[in-house]
Amino acid sequence: MNKKQVALTLGIMCLLLTVGIAIQVRTISNTNSTVAQTLTENGLRDEVLRWKERYDNLYSQLEQAEGNLEKVRQQASQDDTSASSKEDEIKLNNMLLGLTDVTGTGIIFTLTDNQGVTTEMVTSIDDDISYYLVHDSDLRLVVNELKNAGAEAISINNQRIVSTSAITCEGNIIKVNGEKIGSPFVIRAIGSPELLYGALTRPGGPIDLFNAKVITDIKKANKVEIAKYTGIISSKYMTNVEE
Amino acid sequence: MKKGKITMAISLFFVCILFMAVMFMQFKTIDETDITAIENMRETELREAISTWKAKYEELEQRLTQVNTQISEYNESIETDKEASEVLDKELDSSNMLVGKTDVEGEGIVVTLADQEDYVRGSDLLELVNELRYAGAEAISINDIRVTNMTYIAEVTDGYIYVDGQRTTAPFVVKAIGNQTYLSSSLTLKNVGFVDKYTNSGIRVTLEKQKNVKILKTNQEMSVKYIEEVVSK
Repeated sequence: MNKKQVALTLGIMCLLLTVGIAIQVRTISNTNSTVAQTLTENGLRDEVLRWKERYDNLYSQLEQAEGNLEKVRQQASQDDTSASSKEDEIKLNNMLLGLTDVTGTGIIFTLTDNQGVTTEMVTSIDDDISYYLVHDSDLRLVVNELKNAGAEAISINNQRIVSTSAITCEGNIIKVNGEKIGSPFVIRAIGSPELLYGALTRPGGPIDLFNAKVITDIKKANKVEIAKYTGIISSKYMTNVEE
Repeated sequence: MKKGKITMAISLFFVCILFMAVMFMQFKTIDETDITAIENMRETELREAISTWKAKYEELEQRLTQVNTQISEYNESIETDKEASEVLDKELDSSNMLVGKTDVEGEGIVVTLADQEDYVRGSDLLELVNELRYAGAEAISINDIRVTNMTYIAEVTDGYIYVDGQRTTAPFVVKAIGNQTYLSSSLTLKNVGFVDKYTNSGIRVTLEKQKNVKILKTNQEMSVKYIEEVVSK
């Protein structure tokens, strides 16, 4: 009887031990996969960085080439008045397209998420915590108002607004030109400071609407510098209509 | 007899300790599995980022080749003392095309917005333009008014919309040139795409792919008064 009991206990212990080992083995194999995961992820992260670096390198090559292009263009058209007016037009076009760094009078407008509001403070049924955040549609509204008031160059957090720029929302971040940006949103615009300021601050205008929800700050400036667009405005699908 | 009981107690004690150790390991395993799920998500995001950078890099490469060809063409005309007008005209044409100073054509889509239970709003048009740009539209027009980088859309009273100061009314025919498939698929995403979203909100939206969309040039004077180029050092 006693021997049987001992045997039974040993049996149970063996079983438990086996189970324990089995779990252990699984843990180890899982840990391995996590390590592998981290490795592939690090690899991917490295690759993203490599691509970004390659892009930046090539971009500085392009900048240099564009500089050279401008020089030879000037050289080729210097003795010819019609040619030099064409040259000026190309320069103007590049400015309109947002492909050059520009400066001028204008405004700097900052929109910030309202950090002072918490979910507990939002109790009314028509209230929503998301009202206290800056949305992509708010930024589109501001850009449109600024263009209406004659802005000649606009950037949001240093992303130049060009003819192909989209302002989109992806979850909790906003993307401009495919690049992630976050609050505070600093919008720079060059144009008549009075007109730009007036467009945003008029009663019922954007700032009037935003002030109830998010934090705004606007100031006129004598010198606003706006960096160029560092992407390519492509024309793969369109061609000029032959006359 | 007493000795046996003591042995039994000790063995049971050890079994308990083993058990606990195994349980802790188990917990750790579960923890790590959770992290793996999050990291999986990051991986797709990373892969997406890589493909975006690749695409941007290729565009950049193309542009660089183009610029280098133009440089050698200019150089050639300087060396041979020939007039540079041909090269210059070509460059000016493509630059004018990007600005919107020329009539252009190409594959694309035509989206028509019409009043139904609700008016078409200026903000609807703004959002449509934004969506089209996101999907890679190269040229856009609203009722044949070219949308350039300077274009604004203003709604004065219900139904009266001004695009670059020109009054226009529904139905709004919005044309876009770009990759047909990208353009139409990004607008027709189920429920969240522009077409479904605005059809549900009470306006009529139709979308048509076209092999050859023609978009007129801007009738605005494209000039600048306030901006000056920063001369690089």
